Amino acid sequence: MLWLLVGPGVLVFLAENDAPSMLSYSATGARFGIGFFIPFVLFTFLMGFVVQEMTVRLGAVTHRGHAELIFDRFGRFWGFFSMSDLLLGNFLTLVTEFIGIRAGLGFFGIRPGIAVGVGLAIVFAAITTGRYWTWERITLGLAVFNGLFIPAAILAHPDWSAAGHAMLTWMPLPKGNGAEILLLILADIGATVTPWMIFFQQSAVVDKGMQPRDIRAGRFDTLLGVLLASTCGIAALLATVPLFHHGIDATQFQAAEFAEALRPWIGHAGAALFALGIFEAGIVAAITISTSSAYAFGEVMGTGHSLNRPLREAWPFYSTLLGSACAAAGLVLIPRAPLEFVVLTVNVIAVLAMPPALAFLMLLVNDRDVMGEYVNNAWENAAGITVTLLLICVGVVFAVATAFPNLLSH
Amino acid sequence: MKRKDADFDAGRPSPESLAAGEGNVNLEDPRLVMSLLEADQVVAAKRQSRFGRRKLSVGMRVMLWGLRAYVVVMLVLVVVSVIRAIHPAP
Repeated sequence: MLWLLVGPGVLVFLAENDAPSMLSYSATGARFGIGFFIPFVLFTFLMGFVVQEMTVRLGAVTHRGHAELIFDRFGRFWGFFSMSDLLLGNFLTLVTEFIGIRAGLGFFGIRPGIAVGVGLAIVFAAITTGRYWTWERITLGLAVFNGLFIPAAILAHPDWSAAGHAMLTWMPLPKGNGAEILLLILADIGATVTPWMIFFQQSAVVDKGMQPRDIRAGRFDTLLGVLLASTCGIAALLATVPLFHHGIDATQFQAAEFAEALRPWIGHAGAALFALGIFEAGIVAAITISTSSAYAFGEVMGTGHSLNRPLREAWPFYSTLLGSACAAAGLVLIPRAPLEFVVLTVNVIAVLAMPPALAFLMLLVNDRDVMGEYVNNAWENAAGITVTLLLICVGVVFAVATAFPNLLSH
Repeated sequence: MKRKDADFDAGRPSPESLAAGEGNVNLEDPRLVMSLLEADQVVAAKRQSRFGRRKLSVGMRVMLWGLRAYVVVMLVLVVVSVIRAIHPAP
């Protein structure tokens, strides 16, 4: 029964537990240990639920993807702005997924070219099914392995009473360099609330053929996604706490380096689970993010954009999907490409691009001509506006910290 | 929200009653028609109609332009912070 109920909600949240997100949680655990960030990560997922629930209603009521709806209601001018934000963010994120795939398999001695080829082959295999339902089941089956971070966390023997205390009190607060704390706050928010999730879940709800009567099931699906993904995210944070206790500087660590560094404390099996988890996170996100770009492109260009359509009918859709994946994969293989630039910025860009995406979402979901009786109620509007203002505030603090770097340095 | 879903389902005829021709089914209600179609049929049917363009008030335009400026400024600052991170000051 559960297997029938889960769908776009679980998929979008487990996919957003992608390589850079798990890297952010890992960096947070290694830098600050158990404390404020454990409930904070859960809080960011609750913000994600507020946002994603609106996309379920929009998709089920209008039967249109998010990009298509923005073009319909706001015109091409604003539509292209949203699209440019989405496609830029998606491509940069896709690059980081292939960095994760390469790094995850690299732990087992697999060469970069082969690792990236395996990633592309899985993306290709998922779309050859010709049915949204089959594609969704395959991707969900892969997403289950996000749970690999849970045994990795158990092997790290975290102090469960300290974790429970932190969850209830948000203590101890992080201490040290303010700029570093701000960067991790931004990265952890960007690991949960991003524009591609809005576009993907709404399009997937439409492609699945969900109706207004399915909204309740869609909410359950989304809430289940929040619970599963937040558990895995917090597990990634807990798995790297031994690095905090042993004073290991993890600020410059990439995905596989975390696994290597953890080996003395969680053993080879734990480190291998961690590396496999990073590989899985990259694969599932590569599948869903390239699909998100293809949905949006197809909706805007007015060409076929459904995983239920055969290749010959919707070739621009499938070309966009595979083309974006191949371009990102190719970039990862270029020697001395400045990939650290992408890894450093991808989650931060996601947070900074969210306020305009949320503004369009809030306008659409309050549009009675589009939503009829399914418009937001007062509580939903209060929650949506709070999330938007919070993201703007975080962005403004980031701007001030960047303009005046000495302000938060100590 | 529970009320809305229940209301919608309450107004929806069962396939059996449709087959028997019972009740007054208003097939001019696009949402009712959509709810009766299969997923593939919904995807095909939605291509037939479009929502009209929304009229944007001055306040709405100001907000959208403000947010657009926000994104541009933030992207510039991201580039600045990354350059600083890659080439830290001595």
